[in-house]
Amino acid sequence: MNAKHISLAGGVLLLGILPFLAGNAYLEHLLVLWMLYALLALSLNIIIGYLGELSFGHAAFVGVGAYTSAILSTQLGLPPLIGLPLAGLVAALFGLVIGYAALRVVGPQFAILTLGFGSILYTVTNHWVDVTRGPMGISNIPPLSLGPVTFTDARETYYLVLGLVLVVAFLCHALVNSRTGRAFIAVRENAPLAASLGVNVFHTKLLGFVVATAIAGVGGAIYAHYIKVITPDIMGVHNVAALIIVVVVGGRGTIVGPILGALVYIGLLESLRVAGPLRMVVFAALLTGTVVFLPGGLVSLWQRWRGNHKAENNATATTAPTTLPNAEGGAK
Amino acid sequence: MDFTVFAQQIANGLVNGMAYVLIATGLTLVFGVLRIVNFAHGEFYMLGAYLTYFAGTLLGLDYITAAVLGAVVVAALGVVANKLIFWPLRRDHEFTILLSSLGLALLIANSGELLFGADPKYVESPFADEILDIGTVTLTQQRVLVFAAAVAVLVAVYLFIRYSRFGKMMRATAQNPDGAALTGINIGLVHSYTFALACGLAALSGALVGPTVMIFPTIGNWAVLKGFIVVIMGGLGSVTGALFAGLLLGVIESLGGGYISLGFMEAIGYAMIIAVLLWRPNGLFSTARGLR
Repeated sequence: MNAKHISLAGGVLLLGILPFLAGNAYLEHLLVLWMLYALLALSLNIIIGYLGELSFGHAAFVGVGAYTSAILSTQLGLPPLIGLPLAGLVAALFGLVIGYAALRVVGPQFAILTLGFGSILYTVTNHWVDVTRGPMGISNIPPLSLGPVTFTDARETYYLVLGLVLVVAFLCHALVNSRTGRAFIAVRENAPLAASLGVNVFHTKLLGFVVATAIAGVGGAIYAHYIKVITPDIMGVHNVAALIIVVVVGGRGTIVGPILGALVYIGLLESLRVAGPLRMVVFAALLTGTVVFLPGGLVSLWQRWRGNHKAENNATATTAPTTLPNAEGGAK
Repeated sequence: MDFTVFAQQIANGLVNGMAYVLIATGLTLVFGVLRIVNFAHGEFYMLGAYLTYFAGTLLGLDYITAAVLGAVVVAALGVVANKLIFWPLRRDHEFTILLSSLGLALLIANSGELLFGADPKYVESPFADEILDIGTVTLTQQRVLVFAAAVAVLVAVYLFIRYSRFGKMMRATAQNPDGAALTGINIGLVHSYTFALACGLAALSGALVGPTVMIFPTIGNWAVLKGFIVVIMGGLGSVTGALFAGLLLGVIESLGGGYISLGFMEAIGYAMIIAVLLWRPNGLFSTARGLR
């Protein structure tokens, strides 16, 4: 047990008792949204943070999962808790096909291609009225349940999603320290070099992409059963931008980053509700500001502070830099 | 198959396609010369349409003057955006540039919604309601103007890049920025001019297409998506590729919308590029570094 383990245990414990501290249904609802966005952001972080590719189509997979589970439960009467893994599976299948086509290119081309694929899925969802009810959306989606096990209210859903977030976070942690995870990082840092060392770059990327889309699908399905109404807007550009903002502002390539980013996003989204369209302007400024001045995201603030703190202690407070991070700080 | 209908579909597709080409040329220039993928490109299209609208309604200018004024003002805004965001970031990772252009796009689109209001507007044009018959094909004069103006502008841009001193500077920068700088080319100026040209082209296409559709602050989204699809299909950085891919996308969308399903029209267009990219992942006219 060192300080890191203790703070980790403390953090998990705090997350565990948060609904009891919240006190009212509205705050509990926000907690659920926070955890849902954290889950989705963690999945997108596998692509952005570990594979080093920018996906502009991630919201589409969230939508695929949401629609799969919603259609299975409303039209086929399948218990929603069984629909959950199926939603992940279908989203993963979409991820496999789309990833297979899109991962042949890298960098800007990949970003644009995923944007195109996302738009196809959005357009089809919006117009295939027979199945998806088009812009009207699907309403009256039953809550998550299987026999006696139900996740109807905010608190129960919170614990379900929190559990998933912790599992995914642990898997990400295990992944980074595994052979596959090191292959991911190697591919991100230098694909030709990784290939020369025997890493199958395409398969490695495809694996990461499919896992990320599967998690996004499950997250989307939980969202659908929790909110009970879904429309094609879940796949829209707004949601794409939101997920990217969460990951980048929080700190890509870290585990705490996306969770923190989701907290900031949901918090600002609610506190700026009165501001109307100005809200997105704030988010846009936040994104651009983070990218330019704080490329490591919010978590890097903590690392910098600790770095400065240590330097201060070591240098016995002589000329240690104690100023706030400047613009040049660690631009990649 | 009815030939008249078919010819009409092709003509409509070519007009739409030409507008796509105009949007995509700016995108591909900015990428080819400066290696910047500009997500905010569509927003300059939106600004072009809105400035034309406001120049017409508030200043009482006629349509042509308003369109030219709009394009010039947006070109200046492009230079400002370059100075504030893209020039300082030029040495950064492509990720940073991509994300900050996304931020810029969100910023302009939402500020637009704040300033202009979310309700759709019509750009007044004296050509919008006049009909022109060419053989069996019927088009509004405005749509003919879109095509003709786009062709004229593209020829001018081509000649400019090919023969003018400045065009040569742009091509040299596209091939190797450091090498170009060593021979005494002012790279900062090339950046500014390229952005002015690209944003001006985007604004001009917005001003031209504006009277044929409704405009609202989120059309930039649509424009940049179309532009990207064309650019990716043609090959990033290839102007010739953008021309062919844009016309192809326009015609295929039009035929798909006419004979298969109007609702799925856009999806058909995207599906087409994916088919193309499976065959040639870097686009139809993919080039090595440089501007073609």
